[in-house]
Amino acid sequence: MADISLNYEMLKKFLIYFIKEEVKTNKFNKTILGLSGGVDSAVVAYLSTEALGKENVVAILMPYKLSSPDSKEDALLIADKLGIRHEIFEITGIADEYFKQIDHMDRIRIGNFLSRIRMSILFDKAREYDAIVMGTSNKSEIMLGYTTWYGDMAAGLYPIGDLYKTQVFELAKFMKISEKVLNKAPSADLWPGQKDEDELGALYPELDSVLYLYIDERKSMEEIMLLGHSKELVENIIRRVNSTQFKRTIPPVAKFSARTFGIDFLYPHDMKR
Amino acid sequence: MLYKIALAQINPTLGDVEKNLLKHIEFIEKAVQKKAHLIVFPELSLTGYKLGDLTMEVALTFDSDFFKPLLNLSKHIDIAFGFIEKGKDKNSYNSAMYMSEGNVKQVYKKLYPPTHGMFDELRFVARGKEIKIFETKLGKISMLICRDIFHPSLAFLSYAGNADIVLALSNMPLRGLRGDKPGIQTTVEKAVDTYTNFFGMFVVYVNRVGFDDGLGFFGGSFVGTPSGKKLASGDLFEEALTFADIDMEEIFKKRQTFPLLREEDLNIIKKNLDRILEDSYG
Repeated sequence: MADISLNYEMLKKFLIYFIKEEVKTNKFNKTILGLSGGVDSAVVAYLSTEALGKENVVAILMPYKLSSPDSKEDALLIADKLGIRHEIFEITGIADEYFKQIDHMDRIRIGNFLSRIRMSILFDKAREYDAIVMGTSNKSEIMLGYTTWYGDMAAGLYPIGDLYKTQVFELAKFMKISEKVLNKAPSADLWPGQKDEDELGALYPELDSVLYLYIDERKSMEEIMLLGHSKELVENIIRRVNSTQFKRTIPPVAKFSARTFGIDFLYPHDMKR
Repeated sequence: MLYKIALAQINPTLGDVEKNLLKHIEFIEKAVQKKAHLIVFPELSLTGYKLGDLTMEVALTFDSDFFKPLLNLSKHIDIAFGFIEKGKDKNSYNSAMYMSEGNVKQVYKKLYPPTHGMFDELRFVARGKEIKIFETKLGKISMLICRDIFHPSLAFLSYAGNADIVLALSNMPLRGLRGDKPGIQTTVEKAVDTYTNFFGMFVVYVNRVGFDDGLGFFGGSFVGTPSGKKLASGDLFEEALTFADIDMEEIFKKRQTFPLLREEDLNIIKKNLDRILEDSYG
């Protein structure tokens, strides 16, 4: 297993500076995020609160009828502990109204639809509060493409986008986030009993080890296997990473003019505006 | 001679030269109050780093009227800072300017703008071709910009030209968060430690702080001395104005007790370099 440990004290400091500055550069004072009760959004809520103060962080809880009751409870626990403003917005009505008009919905379509409903609400609420939407996606799910394009991936900033899931857990431990949140199996919570690690075919420490060796250390499939990871898993992970690159890039634009966004209109994101 | 050097570890606003000019003035005035002889700013201190297509829009000729407030202040203190130079040859450059006594004393164009991974400099600027070692009130100074200082050849040329002080103006983004310090900070400290020890010179490393498009600049500015001390260390991530009192005698003492420059034979180096060039590159 690759060593992906970090200096969590320094990392926390770095991420707090990142949030302070990038929120301001984007001309906001406030952040808003979807709080699920899981570790990713918990960490982002903690970091945002420490960076900007509790009065500048808004949490939105968006349970569906199949969401685990624990999730809502844990999210409320986090919001209360931080003393941040929160709203609960049930999405069952909106979602079911659509689902009942569709003949055959599979789990993937349901999951993606719920994710995009949550995105719509979050961005609408962002307008109401004049806040920037904080991404809560981590590097493991972004690189595996285990995320909904324009759903949970949609955000103004990605504060934990370069942290693998196991690093998010370690940071959460360092920040003393509730044991209850830390001890849950990671889940997108789109249907009862869903677990990331069942769907991805391995536990996060192993997934992250392979991802780290492949992405950060640029090792080949053969080199990763020699370090003790199974061929099946390594192949599966590399296939997932390669087949989901479209989620991490701007779609191709049919270029014919002198300057085209996404290709050669190369202004920075953070320019004065 | 004793000199006081001010290290201006600032966080410039990307693309906002007017605002950044005011920040320069503010830091310079504070350094003048402390009676510093020289103030050093980071690379591209007037513009910010990740400019992309803004590069040509923020480019200024070194003799532009825009610099008048700084030239005026340079009557009281020597000033080194970074900007995008609109070259007389119609190229843009990542440059450093040295002002003294109301005049532009030197302009150095970065020799090695990195272009790989997260770096994209040569898409927007041209490479400089010449290292500049010049006389100042403080002694002989050579300016290097960020990546340049990871090329020992440039530190060596500064040494061969008998530089007393190397100014290393930097915009180093953080990477590596495993040990006690950011990995890249350890790398730069090792390099400076080597140069100051073997070349018997001062190195003034000034790195910016803040974020451009997610790249986080870590700061950690300091002065390395020939006797291996680290002075005026700036904190991580925070703006700072720190001061180092340096004693130029230290160079003489170091070069007497460890007389590498006296032993050095530049003709041997030149001949060997010519031969290597001939063999390798025809």
